[in-house]
Parts: sequence; C-alpha cells; structure tokens
Amino acid sequence: MSLLKWINDISNNERSRKAWFSLVCLIFVIFIIIPSVFVVLKMFTEWGIVHEVFKDPVMMSTIEGAIWNSFSIAGLVTIIDILVGIPMAWIFVRKPFKGKRILDTLMDMPLAFPTAVVGISIVMFWGIPDGISIPGLGVVVSPYIMLILLHIIFTYPYMVRSLSAILEQIEPNYETAAMTLSASRLTAVRTITLPLFRAGLVTGTILCFARSLSETGGTFIALQMMGVDSTFFTGPTFIAYMKAEYGADVAMGPMILISVLMIILALLLLVVVKVLIMRFKIPVKKVWPQLGRKVSRGAVPKLKDVFSIAFLVLMVLLPTFYIFTFLTQPMADIDYGALLSATGISFLIAGIAVAFNIIFGTPIALYIARKRNTKLGKILDSLVNVPLIIPTTALGFSLALFWGSIYAGGSLSLMMVIFGHIAFTFPLVVRNIAGAVEEVDASYEEVAITLGAKPFQAFSKVLMPIIKSSIVAGAILAFTRSLGETGATIAISDSIKTVPVYIMDLIKLHNYTEAAFCSIILIAICFVLMFAVRILVNRGGNRA
Amino acid sequence: MPEIVLDGLYKDYGGCMAANGLSIKVNDGEYLCVLGPTGSGKTTCLRMICGLTKPDKGKISFNGVDVTNMPVSERKAAMLSQVYSLFPPKTVYENVMFSPEIKEWEEESAKQLVKSMIKMVHMENKVSAYPIELSGGQQQRTALARALASNSDILLLDEPLRALDARLRLELRKELRSLVKEMGLTAIHVTHDQDEALEMADRIAIIRKGKIVQIGTPMEVFQDPATPFVANFVGRSNIFLGKIRSVCETCSEIETDIGAVIKARITNMPEGTDVAVAIKIGSTRMLPIPVPTAEKPEPEQPNGFFKGRVERVLYEGATITIEADAEGIGLVSSKLPNRKYDDYKAGDEVMITWVPEKASVFEIPPEGIEEELRLD
Repeated sequence: MSLLKWINDISNNERSRKAWFSLVCLIFVIFIIIPSVFVVLKMFTEWGIVHEVFKDPVMMSTIEGAIWNSFSIAGLVTIIDILVGIPMAWIFVRKPFKGKRILDTLMDMPLAFPTAVVGISIVMFWGIPDGISIPGLGVVVSPYIMLILLHIIFTYPYMVRSLSAILEQIEPNYETAAMTLSASRLTAVRTITLPLFRAGLVTGTILCFARSLSETGGTFIALQMMGVDSTFFTGPTFIAYMKAEYGADVAMGPMILISVLMIILALLLLVVVKVLIMRFKIPVKKVWPQLGRKVSRGAVPKLKDVFSIAFLVLMVLLPTFYIFTFLTQPMADIDYGALLSATGISFLIAGIAVAFNIIFGTPIALYIARKRNTKLGKILDSLVNVPLIIPTTALGFSLALFWGSIYAGGSLSLMMVIFGHIAFTFPLVVRNIAGAVEEVDASYEEVAITLGAKPFQAFSKVLMPIIKSSIVAGAILAFTRSLGETGATIAISDSIKTVPVYIMDLIKLHNYTEAAFCSIILIAICFVLMFAVRILVNRGGNRA
Repeated sequence: MPEIVLDGLYKDYGGCMAANGLSIKVNDGEYLCVLGPTGSGKTTCLRMICGLTKPDKGKISFNGVDVTNMPVSERKAAMLSQVYSLFPPKTVYENVMFSPEIKEWEEESAKQLVKSMIKMVHMENKVSAYPIELSGGQQQRTALARALASNSDILLLDEPLRALDARLRLELRKELRSLVKEMGLTAIHVTHDQDEALEMADRIAIIRKGKIVQIGTPMEVFQDPATPFVANFVGRSNIFLGKIRSVCETCSEIETDIGAVIKARITNMPEGTDVAVAIKIGSTRMLPIPVPTAEKPEPEQPNGFFKGRVERVLYEGATITIEADAEGIGLVSSKLPNRKYDDYKAGDEVMITWVPEKASVFEIPPEGIEEELRLD
C-alpha cells in the first residue's frame, strides 16, 4: 500500500515522470534495440572472418540460395494471404453466420500452436515422411512448396486479423452510400472501401512477411522430416544448421553474414512495403458497371465466400490439426521428466518476458498512443517494429553476440534466452496495448486528474480497467509466441531446452510418436490458456 | 472560493494560436461563460486553467497564488467534459465516489457526501446503473455530481450541454446554474451557443482567435457590443457600411454607399470616418408601405431610412423573421413577434428603420469587415 502511495506521489511530479520515461526508453534501446542489430556492428569488427566467406563459392551460393528461399517464400505467402485474406476478413466483419464464433477461435489456434508441432502436422498431411504410419495426402514432395503451405498457416491469421481490425473501423455507410448512388457492390467495395484499407494492408503485410522470414522451428522440422535439412535452407534454418553442425565459433563468418543480410533486407523491406502500399494507387478511376453488376449478384459472391471458407478449412485448419490423428495410435513412451522440465523452462522464460514487457512496454505504448504526432512518438512507433521484422534467429544470434561480448562466461545462457524472448515479444505487447489505448478517449484520464487523481492513479484506476482485456490479450499473444519460438532459442544457447527445442530434438532422433504426443500435451496446455483468456476478455468487455 | 486570473497566456499549436495574449479575471463565485465560435481557443482556455495544457507564456493564478506550474491534481479545478467521460467500468455511485476514494477520505463522511450529491442531481434511482445504461441527461447529471463531490473550488464546463437533445438542453440550463450557485463554486462554462451564454452567465467573455474581445454582463454584451463581430455573434445584427456625416447630441448620421442616410448612437469618431453600423435584427423595424387604393389614392408614407422589398417571411414559432432586399445594400432582416405574420408577404415594399440609440457604430477593422464577421 505504501509503495503504491509512493508511486502515486512521485507520479504527480513532472520531473520524476520524465525521469521514469527516460529510463524506460533507455531500457528499450539498450536491452532490445541495440542487441537486436548488434550483429551489424560485429560484421565490421570481425570483417576478416566475414571476408573469408566471400572467397568460398560453395558457401556463398548456399547463403544466396537460403536468402532467396526465405524472401521468395515470404513474398509468395504474403501475396496468397492478401488474396484470400481480404474476402475472409469481409466475411468475419460484415457477415453473420452460424459457427462464426467457432471459426473465429479456431483461426487463432495456429498462432498458439508451437511451430514445431505445426511443422510435423503439415508434413504428415501433405507429404509422405518416413517412419510415420499415419497416411497423408502424399502430394507434396518439393520442400519449397511444402514451406509455402507451412508458412501460410503461420501467417494467414495475422493477415485476416489485421484486415478485420481495420475493416471494423470502416463504417459500412460509405459502401451503402455508394450503392444508393447506383454503384454495384463490387464497384463500391473496390473504389470506396479498399483504398481506406491500406493501413491494415501494411500491418498485415509486414506481420506476414516478418513471421514467414522468422520462422525456424516448424520449417526446420519440416525439412528434417523430408530429409532435406542439410541440402535445402532458408535463412533461419541455415543459421540453426550451421550452429548445430559446426558450432558457433567455426561457423561465425557465414552466420554473421547471413544474419546481417537478413536484418538489412528485412528492414529495407519494411520501408519499401510502407512506401509501396501507401503510394500504390488501387485503380479506382475506371469502372465497369456491367461487369461490376454481373459479378456482384448471383453465384459469384457466394462462390467467393465458399472458396474463402474452404481455403481456411482445407489449407489452414485441417493440416494444423492433422497431428491429432496420432491419438489413434498407441500412446508413446514419454519421458515425462524431460518434458516437464522443458515445459517449466518454457513457462519461466515466457512468463518473465511477458512481465517485463508489460512493465516496460506499457509506458512506451501509452506514449505512442497519446503522442503519436510528436517526433519522439513517431520514432518510438517505428523502433518498436524493429524486433518484429528482424528474423528471430538472426535476432537471437545478434543478441548472443552482444551479451557474449559484454559478459564472456557461459552460465548466464538462461538469462540471455529470456532477453531474446523479451526482444521479439516486446512489439506484440506494445502494439496491443497501444491499439487499445488509442481507442479510449483521453478525456477519461484527463477528467480523473482534474478530479484530484494523481497521474498514476488516473492510469491504474481509470485507464487500466478499460484496457485490461487488451493487456491480457497482448500478454497471451506474447506468451504463446514465446512458448512456440524455436529459432531465437537455439541461436542463443545450445543448453536451454524449451519445449519446442525438446520436440525438435525428438524429431531429430525420429521419435515421431513421442514428439506428437508431447505436442498434443503442449497444445492442450495452450488451449486451456487461450480459453481462460477468452473468458477474461469477455468478462471485461461487457461494459466497456 | 478562488478568484482566477489569466494573465497574457500564449499557446501555439504548430502555427495555430489557440491562445494569443489571453487575459481574463474571473471573480470569486462567478459564473462566467466563455463564448466563441469553433476553433476560437475556448477549450484551450479551460485546459490551461486546470493544467492539462501548459501555456507557452503567461501566468495563471488562483486567489493571487501562481499555479502555472502546479500539478493538475492539486489545483482543485474539476473539468466537466463535453462527453462527460463517466468511467465505463464503474457504476453511478462508484463514479461519484471516485474522488473521495482516491483521496482516501474518511469512509462514513465520504459515503454521506456521495449520497447527498447523487440526491442533489436526482440520480437516487440509478445509483447502481452503469454509464452505458444512462440517458444523456442522466450522464450529464452524474458527471456533475462526480465533479461536485471532488471538493473542487473551481468547476470547468466544456460545452456541458452540447450532447443533449434540444429540449433537455433548455431545461438543464437553469438547473445547472442553480446547482453551481448553491455550491458556491467559481464556474467557467465554455460554449458556442449564444442563447445558452446569455441565459446562464453572470458575465460573458467573448473569445476569438485566442483573445478575449469583450467581457461583460449578458446585457452589456448584447446591447453594447465592442466590435462588429460581437454584434453579429451575440444575437444576429444587420451591418451597414458608410461614412459619418455628422454627429449631433442624441445621435450620429451615417451616409451609406448608396446615399441613404441612417442614424445610430453618438460616437466620438470624426466626420468622414468609414464606419460599420450594426443593429440587432430584433431592433430592426420594417414598416409596410401602403399600396394606393381607390379609397386612399395617396396613403400616408411611413418614415424610415431606406426602402426594401420583402423576399420571404420565415415563421419560427414565437417569432417571425422577415428578409427584405434593399437596393444596393443587400438583405436586411427583422425579427418580430408572430402575431405580425399576416402583415407581410413576399413582394411587399417596406420602409426600414430603427431607434438610433440601439445601433452601434464601429470603425472598420484593418482586415476588412468580411474578415471581421467570419464565424469560424
């Protein structure tokens, strides 16, 4: 109680508020931003060993191939997501239908699944992996296409969610007005609503691209199950492979090079995508009334809806849940001790990361939401995206280099893994909270202060209860993301076995059944968590 | 209760001066209305008083104490916002209890206070309702009770009646004022509705472009406007341009551009000065010019300044407004009681006149009369 009173009192002093905020910004820069891009600096100090790589044509072509795979897969996946995501977002926001809520919940499930699990499930569904007795479709044998199918699952929900969020804010009045002015529905949507959509398209594109670029765990497992993990690479799997095969010291040169390339290309892409989508004019000048009317009526719109839902079910949900077919198999021998300790470590890491992010992310989120137009607000707004867009494996590698250069001893690897998870989940928490705060009129806090509340009281007693559900939602998103992360963890430490790493190890040993059952247990835990959150969110959302 | 002094406040929002040398003295226990068009700096003025916005320059003092740098929460200046901002997750009771709770007042007396405030605003039946379940008027009352229960000395009302239905708005004017007076608070009420200001205020401060143009009782501001803008903003006025021809003991004569001579109250401006004459439409009279008939081939002509032709007659309930076109001058309006409705119809010729003392004379402002009269 007295601590709270102390916080309240110092929050009333403008100087101490500024001091606290400066501290938060400092922590943000020192613990998150600098470590994330430290590898770029390292490339210059270690130029010698990086230069060696250039002389090795085999290595160079492997690196080039890996980068090409990463970016082309991410690009294709994003385009597919946009094409199928727009009609799906429409259905979610504008069309009431039976089972919508269930579909809504199911769609988030791939986000909560540990990526390694999805990797197994996908290969089982589409391919014909050795050593698994459950029949799959067996149609996909190319690793490239398999990865596209896999990455669609990880990215699709992000695209639909981003687009729905914006669509919800666009009033249907515009479309209605256009239609009363005798535009067909297609023309109305295309010329009026789509151009308003850009912000969502930018967010969705960046999220999808970043997620696909970062993906390590599921990708690595898929490649392993297909038996091509030492011949077919993406950027992140290359880093993981090199580290596992040759060790961080021997493979330092190629790892630095590919990390820097991935980081720089990803950041460049962030800028390019923003500019492109904002500048790119959706063609609205021309209208084709006849054609517009024809495709706006009758079978075409229905076909579109059916196709969208079919895509979600067949390409996303079914492959994701295919792992449950293992339940028909005899229960495997599970090393419960190892699984439990891995789960414990995963929860510990995710828990600390989320707690840290809520404490230090909230002030930044508040600043971004309330002072968006100030210079610092804009800078923070862009900086927060940095850990989001950087592939997590590169980020983890960079982080390990940064802390390793400060503290040479190796016993702090758990701490370093936690720092890594803090960095890549930070944007998720901040974005969620900032989004929620933006929805709340600033006048609530302002009125509270004029009624005698100290600034921290205005936050804790007024704003907090209103945005509580969004904070929880952001926390859960970050928590599950941390729980599922593989790439960053293995890039930072060999010794820390989180659940996804543990499952990956099982796959390496071809213990598929055990891996599947461990996955199912993990999914069950995630599901209970998500369910608890849904209840919390709904309870808080009643009156707000 | 405090006396509030704003002394030379400046606030620049990236080139837009929301306060441009703003100075006001608000008396102890006064109900002051700050009246101005949208974007004139009204809300900024309130926000600077309670501290939510910091002036770039200038000083604010309560009872002679400089509060310019005092934290908002210490100022005891409660804001009643346009949208009421009742905290959505709290009931009516919890909302009103907000201040006593965070200030950790003694529980029993706090409960008593909150109950009496809720009773005062007639919300006893809704204590456990959530804001979303309340009507606009009920929300407004609850917000008022919450502000009153905060033990503030100053109440800042930012267009408090704006979000309400027209009828309710009229009813709540008296109620709001009497509650504030009963509590003995110093109140500053910001509005763009001149009728509201005229009815509720002890004094009205007219604000425009971040500056106070005139401050005075409703009667002073209405009858003796300081500028053509005030004349037209507080009750519509007809504005005529011309040159001063002569000034006598009781009135001044102004020659308009078309040569008609009109009269206004006396002025100390020299003859030949270019001036604008403003006369409230309610004080503008239009006398019908009788049409010659068989019985009266030469009817008596009414006296007036110039002629006009009725363009249309608007029926507004208790009043009617006649718009007449005067050649070379443009449209002139007149507001009359509704019983006169049958006396006028479109196309009638009328003689336009007024009592000279009711017409104000202004020097033409340097930026021109059009700019002066703009309502933005």
